[in-house]
Amino acid sequence: MPIGPIFRAMTHNRTRVLLIILEIAFTLAIVTNCVNMIVDERSKMMKQSGFDDDNLLFLRSAPFAPEFREQQYILNHVDSDLRVLRAIPGVKSAVNTNFIPWQGGGSSTTVKIAGSKDVPVRSQVYYNKGDLFGTLGTKLIEGRDFVPNDFDYDQVNGNPKVVIVSKKLAELLFKTPHVIGRQIDDGQAVYTIVGVLDPFYNPYGWPIHEYVFFGPSTVGSFARGTRFLIRVEPGAMKSTIAAIESAMTKSNSGRVLTMTPIDEIKSNFFSGGRLVMKAMTAVIALLVFVTALGIIGITSLSVSERTKQIGTRRALGATRRNILTHFILENWMVTTAGLVLGIAATYGLNFLLVTHVSGVKMDWRYVAVGMVLLWVNGLIATIPPAMRGASVSPAVATRSV
Amino acid sequence: MLLYNIRIAAKSLRRNPYMTALLLAAIALGICVSTTFTTLRHAFAKDPLPGKSSKVFYVRMDNWDPAQPYPGDDPKSLPPQISYADMRELMKSTIPTRQTALFISRLFITPDPKVAKPYQENVRLAFSDFFTMFDVPFQYGSGWDRKADAKPEAVVVIDDATNKKLFAGANSVGKTLRIDDRVFKVVGVLAPWRPTVRYYDLNGGAVNAPEAIYLPLNFTPLMQIRSGGNSDGWRNYTINSFEEFLKAADIDWIQFWVELPTPEKQQAYRDFIDNYVRDQKKHGRFERPLNNRVTNLMETIGDFKVVLPQLSAMAAVSVLFLAVCSLNLVGLLLGKFLARAPEVSVRRALGASRGQVFLQHIVECEVVGIIGGALGMLLSFGVLKFLTKVLPGSIPIQIDGTMILSAVFLSLVAGFVAGVYPAWRICTMPPAIQLKLQ
Repeated sequence: MPIGPIFRAMTHNRTRVLLIILEIAFTLAIVTNCVNMIVDERSKMMKQSGFDDDNLLFLRSAPFAPEFREQQYILNHVDSDLRVLRAIPGVKSAVNTNFIPWQGGGSSTTVKIAGSKDVPVRSQVYYNKGDLFGTLGTKLIEGRDFVPNDFDYDQVNGNPKVVIVSKKLAELLFKTPHVIGRQIDDGQAVYTIVGVLDPFYNPYGWPIHEYVFFGPSTVGSFARGTRFLIRVEPGAMKSTIAAIESAMTKSNSGRVLTMTPIDEIKSNFFSGGRLVMKAMTAVIALLVFVTALGIIGITSLSVSERTKQIGTRRALGATRRNILTHFILENWMVTTAGLVLGIAATYGLNFLLVTHVSGVKMDWRYVAVGMVLLWVNGLIATIPPAMRGASVSPAVATRSV
Repeated sequence: MLLYNIRIAAKSLRRNPYMTALLLAAIALGICVSTTFTTLRHAFAKDPLPGKSSKVFYVRMDNWDPAQPYPGDDPKSLPPQISYADMRELMKSTIPTRQTALFISRLFITPDPKVAKPYQENVRLAFSDFFTMFDVPFQYGSGWDRKADAKPEAVVVIDDATNKKLFAGANSVGKTLRIDDRVFKVVGVLAPWRPTVRYYDLNGGAVNAPEAIYLPLNFTPLMQIRSGGNSDGWRNYTINSFEEFLKAADIDWIQFWVELPTPEKQQAYRDFIDNYVRDQKKHGRFERPLNNRVTNLMETIGDFKVVLPQLSAMAAVSVLFLAVCSLNLVGLLLGKFLARAPEVSVRRALGASRGQVFLQHIVECEVVGIIGGALGMLLSFGVLKFLTKVLPGSIPIQIDGTMILSAVFLSLVAGFVAGVYPAWRICTMPPAIQLKLQ
């Protein structure tokens, strides 16, 4: 391969070579960093809650009828609501709870092992009455669910005696998931653990996404209304919503009902991330296109500038193949130089983004894939102008010297 | 001379429409992508209260658990809101020229049954200074006055959408509205108002729309209004009544803003806050090290991380994209100009100076820059309009004067940067060789 002459020929066209090198370097830096961000967003979205998100429905009942001002009335009404809900065809199970998945928040407190001097750790905390496990679709890996006895305490002013914790919280506190019978303390009261659930994942403003404990309690007040999670038969979401609306209104019309599928809440939660992914993908596609155009433009220029030299080489016996090889090899060398510079630019940009903006460290595999992509892109972009160069007739050399 | 050069440039651009299209496309694409993403970021990062934001201050005090700091990345992080009890004390200060406590709630609106069914609505509880402090725009009437705060008078301010829904958009000042179990008199109707960032409350939903209903905050104890927003606490209270809840001095759910027009007042107010906390320490509260923050509006927006880091990253990447487009342009212009060497040589031989040739070519680049930039802006308008639709909660993204100016500036810079080397090459080319070749 005539590397030497090609290299010497390039030194006569330093600007062009430099332009392509810079362009390729920038492109590699941008493409790999975009891919890195896309993958980061994607991994957040792929995180499983452990619940049957597709078939979950959130129902909020906001009362305005005066009888609901009586707290005990609200609490009693929850039981009848649960009965009404379960009787609706299409409803698999229902639970009264203040836990709503994928809101990006919820309620939290701090807990420690009862009697210990540990610094309390932060955990999500929710209350529920009804079939929590059957509704969420998560599993009770140890112990038992709440039984009617667990609700026998003053629910307006008192505290429950038992809780169910997530496996992750159990491991955080006790370094083991086998915690049935152990006790935790949230500063208000001491609770005995009767069950361990797993999996549980609910993204929170603080890094406590997998720590939770549930207490047995009916949840509702006049100011905040009562909330239910309902699991419907697969595919029956739409028809079930209508059935719930009419059945619940029939049972008591002194309230406003709003229903939101958890799917919708989840999709809202990720809409920002989805937008970032789409925008980044668009930028990558446009950039690769623009770079290809740039390579075509500059190579065409270099071909048309060297028409005479090509003619001379052809007249001296070079085959079309030789000319084609020359241009492709030349471009390959330039692209490679650009990619080498691009690796530095990639890590440089990644460093700047991570330190000044946010983001995750670059994965070298994306750099490797990006390099292959740009190599191929460069090769494809070189072929049309190089073909044109190869088709220059030797007669050109003898014309108008 | 300039006009002449522009005419030549136009002629040259018309002569090779294919090349011109490529040049324009390169600039337009670069400007479109960079303008779109920088505007998107700017919509969240810009000053929502120009001229006033450095005088409006948000107050935070660290009343958190002595055993551990408020959760956050920063060991000095502190609760984002203050408690109702502390707010009552702070309100006694006469240092601020204006001050307001705020919180959000959801209350039942019971309109005339002929107009609409009862419904729940987002309500902002505020003091009268809220409207003047934050330049809230009115179409009818105004906010209430400090007398109405003190009593409190049963007055209400409603937004444009509520006015359309309940009063058919007419001037409803003087009409009444039933909220929960009380009747309020409408004193003001807001003009349509949707800032990108709900800058007066950055707690949970900083990009939400402003609330529909505004009530005097002193109704809180009378109507037992609870916060519909975040509330943070660490101390364990046994709470049996609403009065006890309001007295719980370490449950934080109130936003507190003060207006301090001069540096002297700002210093005096910081001292006032520190002294208040020191005094409270004597009563066994505020056990953590003294850590108060009185931050102006823009600092507060920074502290609450309103600008998503992904947006900043995309803005940075988009500017690099423009750089790649400019590099491309250099190559294209180089080819275009060098192909014109014979013509330029004739001009030079006939007496055109290097400067004149350079000017002619750089003007051509700037013409490309401006036309391409304008195309890019138009494209960007379209893309942003689309983005506004797909963004959650229909967050408005306005292109303002600063963004248009910066886009024009960017296109001029891109045109110049891309054109300066090719123009220099063509003007320094010795004419004799080219003439010999013809």
